[in-house]
Amino acid sequence: MKRSQMTAVGVAAAVALSLAACGGGDAGSDDSGSAGPVTLKISGWALNATPEFQALADGYHEENPDVTVEVVEYRDGNDYDTQIISDLAAGTAPDLYVLKNLNKLWTFQTGGQLLDVSDVAGELDGDVSGVDSYEIDGKTWAIPYRQDSWLLYYNKDLFDAAGVDYPDGSWTWDDYADAAETLTAGLGDQGAKGTYQHSWQSLVQGFALAQTPDADLLSGDYSYLEPYYQRSVDLQDAGAQQTYGTVTTSSLTYQAEFGTQKAAMLPMGSWYIGTLLAQQENGEADDFSWGIAPAPQFDDSTTGTDNTPVTFGDPTAFGINPAIDDAKLDAAKDFLTWVAGEGGATVLSELGVTPALTNDAVTETFFGLDGMPADDLSKFAFSTHDTRPENPVAAETASVQSILNDAHSAIMSGSSSVADGISEAEDRVASEVGLG
Amino acid sequence: MASQTIATTQAARRRRGRLRRRNALVGWSFILPNFVGFAVLTLVPVIALFYLAFTSWNAFGTAPWVGLDNFTRLIGDTSFHTSLTNTVYYTVFHIPLTLAASLGLALLLNRKLRGVAFFRTAAFFPYITSIVAIAVVWNMLFSPEFGPINQLLSFLGVQDPPGWTTSADWSMPAVIIVATWREMGYYMLLFLAGLQTIPPELYEAARVDGANAWQRFRNVTIPSLRPTTFLVMVLLTIGSFKIFDLILVMTNGGPGQSTLVLSQFIYQKGFVENQFGYASASSIVLFAICLAITILQFVVNKRRER
Repeated sequence: MKRSQMTAVGVAAAVALSLAACGGGDAGSDDSGSAGPVTLKISGWALNATPEFQALADGYHEENPDVTVEVVEYRDGNDYDTQIISDLAAGTAPDLYVLKNLNKLWTFQTGGQLLDVSDVAGELDGDVSGVDSYEIDGKTWAIPYRQDSWLLYYNKDLFDAAGVDYPDGSWTWDDYADAAETLTAGLGDQGAKGTYQHSWQSLVQGFALAQTPDADLLSGDYSYLEPYYQRSVDLQDAGAQQTYGTVTTSSLTYQAEFGTQKAAMLPMGSWYIGTLLAQQENGEADDFSWGIAPAPQFDDSTTGTDNTPVTFGDPTAFGINPAIDDAKLDAAKDFLTWVAGEGGATVLSELGVTPALTNDAVTETFFGLDGMPADDLSKFAFSTHDTRPENPVAAETASVQSILNDAHSAIMSGSSSVADGISEAEDRVASEVGLG
Repeated sequence: MASQTIATTQAARRRRGRLRRRNALVGWSFILPNFVGFAVLTLVPVIALFYLAFTSWNAFGTAPWVGLDNFTRLIGDTSFHTSLTNTVYYTVFHIPLTLAASLGLALLLNRKLRGVAFFRTAAFFPYITSIVAIAVVWNMLFSPEFGPINQLLSFLGVQDPPGWTTSADWSMPAVIIVATWREMGYYMLLFLAGLQTIPPELYEAARVDGANAWQRFRNVTIPSLRPTTFLVMVLLTIGSFKIFDLILVMTNGGPGQSTLVLSQFIYQKGFVENQFGYASASSIVLFAICLAITILQFVVNKRRER
């Protein structure tokens, strides 16, 4: 262990020296005041499919030649959290690690696995969204670098074929449901459905929690879910979207359903923009013209392009491992400031990843990417939204979530009625978690 | 003379002692590679489990002692009750079905048939196939709208074919069918081995006495297979109570909690909700259940042997 660290420092020193030798002028841009070369290790997952970590590491190193950033690869999906938890517990985790899911912040913070980074948060640009989500007891524990938000993707070609008007930013969920049914009727010969809602609980519950006034996950009262579930169940009963049973038994993917034009609309997170661009480029997705619209709204008080549409989405953040070497701390904090700021945002938006920092420059870079739609509504949807976290950060969140996930599969599969599924979840939350 | 004898016996004893030590060392070195793996990956965690069950450990730092809190919480936890009921439901149907299917297969493939080796291999195949592949393919077969199983059922005139893995009432039967299909080949192999130890003279004698096929099966095959049946029963019981992987991939416990089993409850509490202390307490309960039933089986078996 020690020897490998020494080697790493040695290699870093050699790299830094040779770089300094070729481009001495660059060294002036390093304002962190860190003395000597430093190697920071950060975590990342599935590096081949997720280039953002290496890009951030390279981007930061380019501006700060003294600091080499190494990405430690972890597994994708839920395995990431399990692996990083074991590494933290064993004391072998990298200096900075990604909080892939906001709902794990509680686990990490109460477990004493995060360093207080309130000083970094205090210096950030006001346009960095999602910072508040990482506050516990008035202190900030991680710094977001990306912020995803849920949007409505639509296939312009299929809308034209069915003779339905494009979304105009004024849609509530009822307008969306009507459009889905009209589209399904109009697209009958092509075998495409009006919309595709994936089997995740967040697809119904995330919107319901973010948009319904006074909805509170920790209240133990889940009546706010009722209209959202009723609409989803009605849509699949009407044949306007694949049934939950088909989605799960046939292992359908949203990328294939929307990308190969089997559905005219798709409510999905902004991470899909980068995927769709890449898949249209490499032929995995059909070549069709598409656009993004704001997520449909709870009622018309938040619709229209003169309003700020409400949606949900979780930020992704870097936190500092408390086991970090004191000598590296300044560099680590400087890295956090950089990823959340202009530097990180530029690198990310070039990859089609939505950065935490939203401003006109980011939107411009994003819409300059090959294959992006050029209409005004898409730009509006991308840049204007009130994005609320999918779940509150609290001790009870994980347990409530898993009970609501059971309710989700029971209701969507038709095993329970909407009312029964919700009241059973309320009973379980009361008896197993003690809320409500 | 006398002193010489003593010296020889002493030398012999020393030689024997050295030999015994040597043998013991060789023996230890043979099991060491396996034992080290077992100790590090199984034994130590299992011992730790018995401590963690009395704490509220959340994976980080120290584990605060909470006494019997985890166990009293289990008693009142409706999800735990559901998972226990579901596990029993699964076990009660899975054991007799697999027993019957594997014994039937073994009897069928114990005859002199053309291509019997091929059929034996075919019956064993599901057991060595990746469980994820099995779950995905069976899920498609069970698809209520497009699956071949329901198409066949409606072709046969079934008015309202079941929803299988998408229905809370039918998801457990669906899982039991797949598990039985997957495991029958393995137990068939054990039964085949058992069948081949039955001396043919017994059948000949029975035939001479005028016993028909059913009587030969009842009075010769079944009693002679008792040791094998006992082994299969014990293995099946423990395996059924521990069922996890198939359900995780096929239904993930759903719809609702209709296929939530004990091991999945433990996984959920531990790895999803980070309540490792509570999860450890539930695994001790699972361990106790398996242990109690196995002891019961041994006792019953011993009494029958008498």
